[in-house]
Amino acid sequence: MKQDNRSITSFAVSSRKRNRDLQYRPWIALCILFVFVFAHAQEKELPNAPDFTLQDVDGNTVCLDSLLKKGPVFMSFWALWCKMCIKELDALKPYYDEFDSLGLQMLAISQDKARAVPKVKPFALSHKWKYVVVLDPDNIMRDLYNVQAMPTSFIINQEKKIVFVHQGYKPGDEEIIVEKVRCLAGKNCKGDCKGKCHE
Amino acid sequence: MKSTQMIIDKFQISNFKKEGSLKVRVGTLVIFILLISITSPSSFAQDLRITGSNRAEYWLFVDSRLDSANYKDHITEKLKLSLDYKDITLRGIFFFWDPSLHSLDKLYYIDYAAQYKKDPVNIMYGRYYMTFGRGLCLNQFLDEDFNNDNSLYGLKAELNGFKSQLTLITGKPRNIFFEELQYTIKNDTTDKVRGANLETRILNFNNPWGLNTSIGGRYVRIHKTNDLTPKAFTELFGGNINLKLGPWENYFEYAQHLGTIPKVGGRLKGDGYLFTTGLSLSGFGISLQYIDYKDLGFGGAEYRYNEPPTPIKSGISVNRGVDEVGYGVAIVASPFDFLSVEIDNNKVSTHNKNLSRFEELFYLKENMGGVLEQGAKAITHPTELSEISFGVDHIIKQKIELPVQKKTETKPYLELQYDFGTFFVEAGLEQTMVTSDTSDYTDRAASISIGKPERFVLTLRAEKRDRVPTWLIEKLGEETFWPMLELSLDLTTRHNLRLRIGGEKGGLVCSGGVCRFEEPFRGVKAVLTSIF
Repeated sequence: MKQDNRSITSFAVSSRKRNRDLQYRPWIALCILFVFVFAHAQEKELPNAPDFTLQDVDGNTVCLDSLLKKGPVFMSFWALWCKMCIKELDALKPYYDEFDSLGLQMLAISQDKARAVPKVKPFALSHKWKYVVVLDPDNIMRDLYNVQAMPTSFIINQEKKIVFVHQGYKPGDEEIIVEKVRCLAGKNCKGDCKGKCHE
Repeated sequence: MKSTQMIIDKFQISNFKKEGSLKVRVGTLVIFILLISITSPSSFAQDLRITGSNRAEYWLFVDSRLDSANYKDHITEKLKLSLDYKDITLRGIFFFWDPSLHSLDKLYYIDYAAQYKKDPVNIMYGRYYMTFGRGLCLNQFLDEDFNNDNSLYGLKAELNGFKSQLTLITGKPRNIFFEELQYTIKNDTTDKVRGANLETRILNFNNPWGLNTSIGGRYVRIHKTNDLTPKAFTELFGGNINLKLGPWENYFEYAQHLGTIPKVGGRLKGDGYLFTTGLSLSGFGISLQYIDYKDLGFGGAEYRYNEPPTPIKSGISVNRGVDEVGYGVAIVASPFDFLSVEIDNNKVSTHNKNLSRFEELFYLKENMGGVLEQGAKAITHPTELSEISFGVDHIIKQKIELPVQKKTETKPYLELQYDFGTFFVEAGLEQTMVTSDTSDYTDRAASISIGKPERFVLTLRAEKRDRVPTWLIEKLGEETFWPMLELSLDLTTRHNLRLRIGGEKGGLVCSGGVCRFEEPFRGVKAVLTSIF
């Protein structure tokens, strides 16, 4: 009887393992592969940017439509604990005036939870950021734009299409963002802009 | 023998039923993706927008606590899809976590939400997150970077107008945590949360002083089947006022708890205060937070639906919702373009009746549980292409990590970065000196990264511990050396592949351009993130 029980347990475990390995994993692998191919194909498209209405750190309402009336929109998801996000926003600081003259609206979307909200405005101003800093403690924007990693930045053109998405930040990445913005404005573009503007 | 065969058959049937249902769900999802991809070209023309993201993670590792000879593997998959058609949005999330260790339970779920949004109305049914005020009354949030998913499933309605927003919610809570290398649902209950929140800026003034004010009021009620006195509903109510005067901003929130005393029954009363003030000037910012609450916790022993905020940087809570008092001060200054300085001093502790309110706030006596955090950091840019950052963190944890009564960590660190244009080099050194009531040890770490913008970052990191105290062996084993090689590869701007080989001590790790909270680990990790 003891041996029977052992064989049942052994069968149950091996059966469970075999089933899992043979049944779930190919589906998951297929799913991942399909998503990768689908996502790659989607890059050629220009999806519409979802509408949003948020509060900035001064309590003003910021919505996509009103920003787009002034020009294209650059937005970056950041948080106080995210070193790379802060490095990215610091690195873009010297270009703020040039972007402003090109009509680009710059948005820094804080993902800090409610407890860290009081630190956001003093931090942003002390770093001399001129960006519009908005709060998103319930991750509504993160869900809306399907952000998976921090930082992630987007550029939305005035036709409300997402023309640039970038995950993560490495020193020098800001040059690519600058190039995209200049491209979008049709100014100072190095080389052929056609492909670059519609990635 | 016959009975044995029957048991095997029965097991097979139930197992296949379970496996089959998941297979059907996964299959349905794949068909769903196929359908939307086939229809997408024509759909775009009809205002249908399909977006999503995917995160796939594969681990191959050895867990020395269980079996050092066999390698184990984990798969984690999270797919998010959104369909937008005019004012309607459908959102779906498929999550799958499959450990190879049969001692751990796998976790999978499919979450969805349907939303109608047209000003001034926003109605959502499905899985959602909600924080009322700063979280004293309700704080159900998602923290993907730290794998903390506290959500509600039900109905949410928002109404905007007259410079005000009214939110009404009803939902069943679900709190998922990832700790000790596995996911657990802490509140598998029939609890139901209902609440209302009103925020208004109706008292805004247009004046030369820049005086602005907003107020809020809220009520949250929980229905629990296991309350001994079900008539005594568990409820929280409170309000807040926000007052701005030019660059100076003040916020005060109050909450009161009326509930059932756990296990005993009868009426439990508690209350809490939160006060924050901040000054924001160009090049200088200071923020101060104060918190004081007792019996405000709303939920079970291991989970909270309100999670009262702590004013400290690491977010550690001594005794969530039961009794805590603390403060936090943060100063950030950039007096020159080439220099910025950050200073933090934060403390949170349990109440101590033997001390005055002032002493309770600032001192950490031996008999109190508490955390004291102090930190100073400077970032300089000697040239346009270089960056040097250095600082020191000092943390005292008392009665936080069992079995250690008191632990002091002091961590000086130095980071150097030089951007050559076509590539960059980054190097870092840090030393963590840990003093505890039982034994002391030191961790030393060095790292070097080389990277090319929008292409890759290759990082080599090594960390060594001089000795392992016995209390730590049970938690993390006898590891003393963690070498790690990481390659972060940007396949395109929307696809990133991260490969890690080696050992990780765990904690908050920023590398390859991305910050995440990592569990202690030894093996190989591959992470693919896509956004579309």
